Amino acid sequence: MSQVISRRAALRSLGLLALGATVGCTPLRVVLDKHPRALDDDGTLEDRVLRAFLATVIPGSDAAAPDAIRVFHDRAYPFAKYARFFAGDLCRRAARRSGGATFDQLSPADRTAVVQEGLAADGTTRKLYGGAIYLIQIATYASIYDDRGGCPLIDFDGGYHFRPRTENTYPDPDSFLASALTASGNHA
Amino acid sequence: MDAIRTDVLVIGSGFGAAAPALRLAQAGLSVVMVEKGPHIDHLRDFRQTQDPQYLRQYLHGLAGDHLSLTYAEGLGGGSGFYEMVSLRAPSLAFRQTDARGRRLWPAELERGTLDPYYDRAEAMLRVEQIAPHDVPKSGLVFSLLMKNLGYSCDRARYAVRNCMGSGFCVSGCIYGAKQSLHVNYLPQAVAAGARIECDLEAQALRPLPGARALPYRYEVRCRRRSGARDVVVFQAKIVILGGGTIGTAALLLRSRPDLPRLSSEVGKHIAFNGSVKVAALLPEHFPAGDMFAGRSHPGMISYQFLESHGISISAGKAMPLMVVSAARLRLDGDGREPAWWGQANVDLMRQMRHRMIALVSFGLTPPGGTITLGADGHPALSLAPTRELERYVETTHGILQDILVRNGCRMIDTEWVKKSGVPADAGLHFATAHQVGSCRMADDRRSGVVNAAGEVFGYPGLYVSDGAAIPSSLAVNTSLTILANAERIADGIKERLGLP
Repeated sequence: MSQVISRRAALRSLGLLALGATVGCTPLRVVLDKHPRALDDDGTLEDRVLRAFLATVIPGSDAAAPDAIRVFHDRAYPFAKYARFFAGDLCRRAARRSGGATFDQLSPADRTAVVQEGLAADGTTRKLYGGAIYLIQIATYASIYDDRGGCPLIDFDGGYHFRPRTENTYPDPDSFLASALTASGNHA
Repeated sequence: MDAIRTDVLVIGSGFGAAAPALRLAQAGLSVVMVEKGPHIDHLRDFRQTQDPQYLRQYLHGLAGDHLSLTYAEGLGGGSGFYEMVSLRAPSLAFRQTDARGRRLWPAELERGTLDPYYDRAEAMLRVEQIAPHDVPKSGLVFSLLMKNLGYSCDRARYAVRNCMGSGFCVSGCIYGAKQSLHVNYLPQAVAAGARIECDLEAQALRPLPGARALPYRYEVRCRRRSGARDVVVFQAKIVILGGGTIGTAALLLRSRPDLPRLSSEVGKHIAFNGSVKVAALLPEHFPAGDMFAGRSHPGMISYQFLESHGISISAGKAMPLMVVSAARLRLDGDGREPAWWGQANVDLMRQMRHRMIALVSFGLTPPGGTITLGADGHPALSLAPTRELERYVETTHGILQDILVRNGCRMIDTEWVKKSGVPADAGLHFATAHQVGSCRMADDRRSGVVNAAGEVFGYPGLYVSDGAAIPSSLAVNTSLTILANAERIADGIKERLGLP
């Protein structure tokens, strides 16, 4: 069924924007953060993997920007507790697929396949991957760490930058207007 | 602990609370207004942002299986965050009946009864019909869709002055253009002597012993929500509940042990303006819209299907956050996988600003929602899905889709997601900020909680003046009707007290 987005419907989703729901059914390996040793051995691997994840979910976004993956570690969102485990899971699946490569070393097509695999895995992993996509889409498209900058990828210019009224409307509004049922805008 | 005594205690500071606070202060009564949420200086505190952490300071939700409600907490209530749409409810909204043919509104209340109060509310909010040259592109494109099919479409009415079209109405207007309650009722009430206390939550209400013989009839226990969380107790001759459909019902439900004559209808009959939404991409030959430019509401409303189907239709504008936090989008017929993320999703999002059109309908759905208090004392929400509601959604969805498809638009499939980002269960679900009616006006206490004057049955001097008192869906935005009704209730109180 086709449905869409109202501002109201959307605002109702703002309560958590997070993975709170996963906590109650989180496998022990997540609670214990059983991530691959490579993440400990290579201090930049987690960052590279999460940036590669962003590039996979939102191709064309500026994955190198300083705040590009900040949302994954933002303690305002419960996902921060799972970010390292998530990066590790991406690498585990990447390694299985490629014979040892880390997620960021895969081709775009293989990275996409890894994410799809995560989304098709057990319920908790599905929530983890779905939540990660959800968060990074919100952070990137809505530019939540840069009120003024916006998201050039979708022509969202962030906070208001002055534009003349002529950019908000068309110069010949009457040619668009349908017949009105009321004189004032209020129905009788 | 010493109680603070006042003639009038107003609980809440939104549309339903501000009018009684102002009018009764102007009449010379001592008035204290308590607001659960934070103080808001609209020129200092609002931000043009999509940051969820900012929005969560003020906007909250209550979700049930088939209904989700959004509401604001903060000085001015929803007035700081609404889209400024200020429309009178159509006459047929007042004539709705329940399944047994009984009027939902009290017999004495018609549109004509409220019209003088609509006049006053419109004057206070400086409501005007939008001029053609101010209608945002998305609104003009919507009007053109209707025009192409021979349908009508009207320019809507807004509470705004000198709007510059920044598009951030729903995160709070930083320019003071929106005529929220921060620029009219609330400062005027303070000037008239009212005292406003924010960050103070009313937790329980009880009649004072021997209240019929004493001037101070009710005691309200409040608690600070931050800092030392100290308790503040008020005693008042008149208590006006204006904390909104959820807040007012929750307070009365919590206070029920001390209010034995309270109607059993508290928390029931919540109406929700059953909104249905569809989206599509405009055909190539069509002029472009603009989701991000111009006021948040796109300026046009169609009453074409009001008489026949009980719905009004508007276009919907949405910021990126509103879209991606609510739904997974797929362009109809785009076979690429993955669809809701990856390249296919980016390609769709790139068209969001100029080529996406969303239609939103509000309808006269029956007041079927219910709020109860859970074991933890927090409100819980429910709506029984009915075949009638399912038919309403199917029919309305068909009307909206027909408008788009007959104009050559390409539909967008939307899979709603929960707050956690996982897909919501399929089936009937309404989401709104237009909830009314949890303590509805009625002709008797078997049918409602307050009488037509807004006074709680069995409790003289205790009033409900907010959306909770409104008995039905309105098929248009609810704020102006809530305000007009609150003005009417305030006039009634003054009249009964013999005040000028």
